[in-house]
Amino acid sequence: MSKVYFSTWNGEFVNNINIPQEEWKESAYNLPAQYDSHRESKAFIGWDGVALFDKDVDVIRLAMEYAAQYQEYSEACGRCAPGRWGGRILYDQLDKIARGEGSRADLDHLREIGKSMQITSKCEIGKTVPNPIIDLMTHFEDVFLECINEQKPSKHYHEDVSYIAKITSPCSDACPSHVDIPAYIEGVRDLRMDDSLMATRQTMPLAHVCGRVCPHPCEDACRRTNLDEPISIMALKRLGADWETDHGYDFFHPMEKKPSNGKKVAIIGAGPAGLTTAYYLAAEGIATDVYEELPVLGGEVAVGVPEYRMPIAKYNKDIECVRDMGVNFIVNRKVNADDMRKFEQDYDAVMVATGTRISKKVYCDNERFEINGYWSAIEMLDQINLWDKYGIGERVDLTGKTVVCVGGGFTSMDVVRCAIRANAKKVYMIYRRDEKTIIKNTTYEEYHEAVEEGVEFLFHSAVARMNDEENVLKSLLVDKFELVPDPNGGRAELVKIEGASYTIETDFLIPAVSQSADLKLLPEEWEIEKTSWATIKTNGKDYMTSRKGIFASGDCEYGPMTIVNAVGQAKRGASVMARYVLTGEISLTDDEIMEDHLRKLRVYDKKEKVTGWLPGVARAHSEVLGVDERKYNNREVNLGFTQEEAMSEAERCMRCYYIAMVQA
Amino acid sequence: MNKLINFKIDGISVEAQKGETILTVARKNGIYIPTMCYISKTSPCASCRMCVVEAEGVEGFVLSCNTPPTEGIEITTNTPTLQNERTNIMKLYDVNHPLECGVCDKSGECDLQNKTLEFNVERQSFSARDQLRPTQNWGLINYEPSLCIMCEKCVHVCNEVIGDDAIEVKFGGYSSTIIPKNSETLDCTFCGECIAVCPVGALVSSGFKYRANAWELSRVPSTCAHCSAGCPLEYETRHSGINGADEIYRVKNNFEFASLCGAGRFGFDFDNRAQRNESAFNKAVEAIKGAKAIRFSSMITNEEAHILQLLKEKLGIKLFNEDARVFGEFMKSYSSMSGKLHHSGSLDAIKQSDAVIIIGSRIATDNPGVRYALTTASKHNGAKIVYAHPMEDTLMQSVTTQMMKYEVGTEEGVMALLAHVILSEADLSDSERAFFDELDFGYLYAETNIGEEEFSHMMNSFSRAKKRTLIIGNDLIAHERSSNIAKLAALIEKYSDFSLVVVPREVNTLGVSLINTLQHDENIPDVVGYNAKGDFVISSLEGADLAVASLNQQEGTFVNIDNRVLPTNVALEFDGYTLNDIAKAFKIDKKNTIDYTQELNKKAGFKTIAFDDLENFLSPFGDDNRGYLLDEVTCKADGELEELDDMPEFNGTIVYHCDPVLQFNNYTFKTEQLPKENFLLGSAQFGVAARIEDGDKVEISFGATKIQRTFKLDSELKGTVALNPTFDISVDASRYRFEKSKIVRVV
Repeated sequence: MSKVYFSTWNGEFVNNINIPQEEWKESAYNLPAQYDSHRESKAFIGWDGVALFDKDVDVIRLAMEYAAQYQEYSEACGRCAPGRWGGRILYDQLDKIARGEGSRADLDHLREIGKSMQITSKCEIGKTVPNPIIDLMTHFEDVFLECINEQKPSKHYHEDVSYIAKITSPCSDACPSHVDIPAYIEGVRDLRMDDSLMATRQTMPLAHVCGRVCPHPCEDACRRTNLDEPISIMALKRLGADWETDHGYDFFHPMEKKPSNGKKVAIIGAGPAGLTTAYYLAAEGIATDVYEELPVLGGEVAVGVPEYRMPIAKYNKDIECVRDMGVNFIVNRKVNADDMRKFEQDYDAVMVATGTRISKKVYCDNERFEINGYWSAIEMLDQINLWDKYGIGERVDLTGKTVVCVGGGFTSMDVVRCAIRANAKKVYMIYRRDEKTIIKNTTYEEYHEAVEEGVEFLFHSAVARMNDEENVLKSLLVDKFELVPDPNGGRAELVKIEGASYTIETDFLIPAVSQSADLKLLPEEWEIEKTSWATIKTNGKDYMTSRKGIFASGDCEYGPMTIVNAVGQAKRGASVMARYVLTGEISLTDDEIMEDHLRKLRVYDKKEKVTGWLPGVARAHSEVLGVDERKYNNREVNLGFTQEEAMSEAERCMRCYYIAMVQA
Repeated sequence: MNKLINFKIDGISVEAQKGETILTVARKNGIYIPTMCYISKTSPCASCRMCVVEAEGVEGFVLSCNTPPTEGIEITTNTPTLQNERTNIMKLYDVNHPLECGVCDKSGECDLQNKTLEFNVERQSFSARDQLRPTQNWGLINYEPSLCIMCEKCVHVCNEVIGDDAIEVKFGGYSSTIIPKNSETLDCTFCGECIAVCPVGALVSSGFKYRANAWELSRVPSTCAHCSAGCPLEYETRHSGINGADEIYRVKNNFEFASLCGAGRFGFDFDNRAQRNESAFNKAVEAIKGAKAIRFSSMITNEEAHILQLLKEKLGIKLFNEDARVFGEFMKSYSSMSGKLHHSGSLDAIKQSDAVIIIGSRIATDNPGVRYALTTASKHNGAKIVYAHPMEDTLMQSVTTQMMKYEVGTEEGVMALLAHVILSEADLSDSERAFFDELDFGYLYAETNIGEEEFSHMMNSFSRAKKRTLIIGNDLIAHERSSNIAKLAALIEKYSDFSLVVVPREVNTLGVSLINTLQHDENIPDVVGYNAKGDFVISSLEGADLAVASLNQQEGTFVNIDNRVLPTNVALEFDGYTLNDIAKAFKIDKKNTIDYTQELNKKAGFKTIAFDDLENFLSPFGDDNRGYLLDEVTCKADGELEELDDMPEFNGTIVYHCDPVLQFNNYTFKTEQLPKENFLLGSAQFGVAARIEDGDKVEISFGATKIQRTFKLDSELKGTVALNPTFDISVDASRYRFEKSKIVRVV
């Protein structure tokens, strides 16, 4: 809800013209009425309509400036005949009216060209830019006619007015890293993989990783869903990265590294958040030292995500890409509170990106670390991955053993599938809720591949007790639950079924319920604020902690979450840090402020009717290794798209770029 | 998977295969949908939006060029609203388009002109402020941004078909333009494909600009005479002044499906302008009478080769052509293993491949047609391409997925190792299996300098491939162990799903090798040269004792890399004698050279088809209807693999005979527009080894040959092998192209 003077946003019609402000009706949408802490918005104009927050807005100039953005936003425009010429004609005609030289015929031409753009343009920018302009011409016709009839300039034509615009799309808005998804898909469609890859790397340095193991929230916001099925967005990202690797090219960086500005930053942790921070800070000409506790780089994606999902050779390419920007890595170096005190002196800023590497307990009876067979998911995956990927430590051999994992998320899937590959005799997954929920928490593919490989899922179950003999795990007592609907229509509740408990014999219990952050490195006297989840607290916008100059991003800030979330936070954090080390101020760019406004407003509208596209063109699916080909080895399971599949999938993308603009 | 999709276009029931779009199906069925940016051989540019259609039950217009049909959908291609929107698009294209059709090169064959008339755009309701956009001079190519309609065809072909990726769209709405990629000026191989596909006069040939109007030129369909790809082209001719003789003004091609390199496009003026000389003719007849042999090049037609064969038989003389002889020997060994005369692959097979090994050729300059086929395979099929050669080639980097860098001279070992991994599970005969079992792998890995892991990496990268091709270049054909190499190639073709393409060196090496019985070239006196050295020289090049017509001045046929017999035609008249006239003096009596077309060697697969019955066009869907394909000929497979020889060593300064981009031979050398950079190109390391510096004049000695060149440092080269061009000299074509050489600075 926002207070507006006038709004046509998303088909609503709020008209408070000539109504006293106290009686103004509100808009149903989260429109950016307040631009930032010190500026109120006067107008918001975008793909879906226009909202005025102030009576004094020069609507003709607003329309003209919006049309001008179409010329500015080069990455999305100039690619089709109606858009290229039409966009210019819109601007020229509106400018002619605004400077007081317009004629009535110009209004007809505007409507005519607007209509042609709406139905024939290549992307949604071309199709939607005329929308709010025509809205303004319709609802403020008198204002337009007055300028035309009296041949006078519009009311603020000659003044300095601040307009701030941003290009967006439903998918990139939903992506925590705000990857320019339509651009990298266009690169695939045009067979320009270098362009595709550079589009990804503008905001996401881990193209191999997020082309393979991202849970792709973007696909839930894909407009193509309104027509048939979402685009296979994630899988298309991999094309550019694989192309660069296959052809042995030097790294394609989307920006040129700036010369050194003499500033330096310490980054604690070389996982996705640390790598991302380092990449974008190094590009800004800031010296970056990344401290990593483990002997290897990459964080949980290296030692958590198994080889068959994320081949280390590919991840190493992402890491090398970061290093190529001029990042300095220091491994085998656990940072403690004394180090942090020193870093605060030695560096201009510090990013804490240490993740969440403590497995949480199952909370059952007799849950003791001393019991042989109680093995945390983090430790198990560390050992497996360090051996499989780097030959460090010892091989995990579970021949003849029974393994029980308690979980339901990605980590638990990795545990059970790794246990299969370590030749376990029997592998169980115990989960409190049902099949549908586990799929929702992970992916359909992940769950079904695990089932195919022989993992037995025990739903509506929870471990009640560990049974040991002389500190050696022997069996587990498992309680059975059922889902009892709330008679009052509330959320259904899990209720234990008395007498249904049973025992399973096992050699291992592996808790993979969740992880928590180890924050002992933060000096106590700094009194850094924590969240109720015992993670580091920031405002979620600039990622600075309660202590000046100390930033945090990734899982240690948010709690255990996705790679793409960590990357998104770190990218923003790096941007803020880059300005902070130079000015000592915490600030966001206009682009970032707009990004946050649009995220709040939400770009994707699942109820929108999509026109101009033929429905029923099926989503492409990439080939997956058969169960016998993958079960006992670490070969990458998903083979990725063939070029043909990739091209036909890319052709389904509707290029839903939109322009949003605020007058502030 | 290959289920057909049934649907309707304008009420007509049609069917689509997987991968087809509404537009391609419409075209196949003769239904017209207008386009301005569509080009069949690339992915859809989708910029013009003219091809929008309506679909039953779907709100809004659907773009037909990139939308696959769905089962049962009913498409309408023309309604008043569609017509209105398409007309509006044409009006937009016409906004500020300079009205200079009177002088524009494209006028008369301009898509913008044609469609403006087709849509009857007689008044303009839209206007925008014009902008200043200066002409860009990019050497052989000129770009006029104000004429550009930003269809993006040029950018697509450059990247997807040619592989240069030298131009890109500079985005900027109304001021969008085409710019050189990562460079101030255009830095590319100057194939001129961008000129060919440009629908307006924005990209034009600098040499042709303002010289003639489209409608004044006569078009002669022919075949390019520069390399064995045998690309289709059209010579466009006109009289060159009030009383002037005809001249070739430019070369065009069917760019919708075929491609052409810059030598074909800009190197067309190699016609022989010498005059008829009767006394020279009589001397030529006398010379042949007294000759022990005729030495000739492969830059001749099949019919000329046939006449030479007849002369040989009649006069009992020898025929020398080392290029064709060596190629023929290679193919003979191949046949002894494969049991058939011709290799199985083709340029089309390469284009459809998703796994390719190319070995023993600097292919981008040896045969651009193969390079373009590889680019298509790489871009469109994501083909994994192994490039095996002792030297990197930056032109190939964008398509190569694995560089297999072997030591100079070890080609036999590399082929044995390749055959070994490819055929590891093949059903070989006992003796063939024994050959591989007895290989000394440690020695081979060490000598070739290719590790076992490189071969397993290759096999891994090929694991998903469905169509594989092995391409063999001249370094293997001219190798001293070529016979065994050919057998190994045949073995791979026979026992695996690889198809094989052997790249002939010259335009008609393949045809000559099938027609002539050739002897080993001995250094004997009384040799008549035919387009080659001799005591008496009959040639279409300058300095001949008797001048004859060059390949763009005569009718006849070539056999290209596809084993296709291709017609070439008279673009310019030659006023003088032909080989057939000489033959007549020996009572080898046919009226015209092309009377021999139907008599070409049947045992080699030639057909009894008269020249005038040969077609020479690509169908509207790109099917190659030029000439005919040689019949497959089976032969005895009695060959046995030989034990591998010791790998030779090449130390010191080595030169590799290799022409620069746009040059092939003495004919391209004499053309006006093609650059003639005849430097010895080497790396800094080569310079150190040879003790020479950039700009030094050097003498290069190899075998009995000594030539002088200027040394030029090339930062893209590595190692101690330098590139020595041969287009301006004549190097015995049968020589292995790597030569141990002596290089001395000339003071």
